[in-house]
Amino acid sequence: MKPVVAFANGTLWVHMDGETFTFESPKRQARGKAAAAANKGEITAPMPGKIIKIMVKKDETIAAQQVLIVMEAMKMEYTLKAQLAGRVAEILCEAGQQVTLGQRLARLEET
Amino acid sequence: LKAIQKLAIANRGEVAVRIIHACEELGIATVLLHSEADVGTRAWRMADEKICIGPAETAQSYLQIERNIQGALSSGAQAVHPGFGFLSENADFAQACVDAGLIFVGPRPETIRALGDKISAKKLIEKAKVATVPGYMGDDQKLETLIQQAEAIGFPVIVKAAAGGGGRGMKVIRSRAEASELIASAKREALSAFGSEVVFLEKYLDRAKHIEFQVFGDFTGRCVHLFERECSIQRRHQKIIEESLSPSLTPVLRADMAKAAVSLAQAANYNGAGTVEFLVQDGAFYFLEMNTRLQVEHPVTELVLGVDLVKAQILTAAKEFVIWKQADLVPRGHAIECRVYAEDPYNRGLPSTGELLKLIWPEGPGRRYEVGFEEGDEVTAYYDPMIAKVIVWDEDRSRAIRKMLRVLDETVIFGVRTNLPYLKAILSHPEFVDGTMTTQFIQKNFPEGLVPRELTAAQKAFAEKTLASGEFQPGSSAVASGAPPVSPWNNPWRFV
Repeated sequence: MKPVVAFANGTLWVHMDGETFTFESPKRQARGKAAAAANKGEITAPMPGKIIKIMVKKDETIAAQQVLIVMEAMKMEYTLKAQLAGRVAEILCEAGQQVTLGQRLARLEET
Repeated sequence: LKAIQKLAIANRGEVAVRIIHACEELGIATVLLHSEADVGTRAWRMADEKICIGPAETAQSYLQIERNIQGALSSGAQAVHPGFGFLSENADFAQACVDAGLIFVGPRPETIRALGDKISAKKLIEKAKVATVPGYMGDDQKLETLIQQAEAIGFPVIVKAAAGGGGRGMKVIRSRAEASELIASAKREALSAFGSEVVFLEKYLDRAKHIEFQVFGDFTGRCVHLFERECSIQRRHQKIIEESLSPSLTPVLRADMAKAAVSLAQAANYNGAGTVEFLVQDGAFYFLEMNTRLQVEHPVTELVLGVDLVKAQILTAAKEFVIWKQADLVPRGHAIECRVYAEDPYNRGLPSTGELLKLIWPEGPGRRYEVGFEEGDEVTAYYDPMIAKVIVWDEDRSRAIRKMLRVLDETVIFGVRTNLPYLKAILSHPEFVDGTMTTQFIQKNFPEGLVPRELTAAQKAFAEKTLASGEFQPGSSAVASGAPPVSPWNNPWRFV
């Protein structure tokens, strides 16, 4: 089978040898990486969905990998965990709320 | 058909498309009862008429009994097909159809009530002397009671939605410490998916196979079975790969299970398509639940038996279908179904949404695709992330596996991340190939999904050439000017 390619929204899609892979321009990628590193304490929605439960309170001390928020998307529940140990600086969502992809849900501060 | 000239579909996506195909072949006009978010979807484009019954949220559209009834009535349809999921196992909906003078394509409301609620179904089958898994199904739904009962049964214990199916509202509890949180979570999922937070508990069998029997009753009350499907490949209790027949039943066990399934259907005076689910471990089988509807994985049964279950359902509802003779139902060859989901196999199966830029379903003998999308359609977060079902048939199981691998290699989906690599990894796993997989397969072999790896040299060379050709411009001026792309690569490529 010949490779299949398509390009849209800054991403090149390639299907070849039974596998699909994408290319994002290095500029776009670097932007994403820098943002991720700078925002380790920023908890954002990894997908659009609904906030089911908030497991922590503002100013609460948290451990790395602790479950912060339970959300539901596409009929499944997903847990969002802390990537650092510290405290909850801000909670920016509430249970029952519909959130969009990338929406800020909480902010943590490293201690 | 005399009784049905127009049929309303209380569903969406690929199953709505499947029902439209059946209706077209039977000469029945179709009305799609859809949400605002489903305007312009494939089923919407195919249906003869469409009626919007509410906003995207299922609780205000697809799960609204009254709006579906009103929609069907206003269109002048004589019958309603509920598909699977949503209201398909809701006895109140079936009753509301009957009360409104509409034919409900499915079993009678009282049958759904008795069997659809897993607690009363279990009581029914205990009378029929079929073993069930030890558990608790009491009315006392207090958290403390449920935790106590779970301890009495002994961990691991599974908590399930009494009104549910399809993996939602199900959790495995491995220790007392996590019982409280998991039961609460199961109750929430149950409430949001099925409108009831009643749950029950069961001993969790840790090396069982999931094997289910398709049964069918015609309007005269005669019942047959259409052999079994094995659906042991499940992730978070959501089936991923199904096949018919099961590679692991002996003829004796198969006959015993078929007999149990048919006797349950007969005891319930069952009409239409239904599925009796069992867990099989160490040569013994335990009744799990009966689904009083069409199953997602019905195509594998259709392919090995050469039947059309959806047409048979509609004809039965119109009191026209007189059942297949059991002796004529002889399975031939082997069929496998893979559910293609919009999710990232390299990132714990996180759902992926977006516009489908390209879709290629490779043609060939013994291949079938059940698809709710076309190129340019969008996968949204409102509904199930399933893009399509890919089904293959071949003369035996090993050929069917090889065919499926080939088909998935040639299937192209651009625009969202998909589980295609995950499906292929499962199909190639020795435990799947030799047919010994259990419901623990995913957890045991692919607990974290897949690990990303590097592109092959040939893939990298092709990709670089494509970029350098200047035909595609991924937003970087270096590439746009036709200069060699990026160096070093810094791995801007990734598998999806």
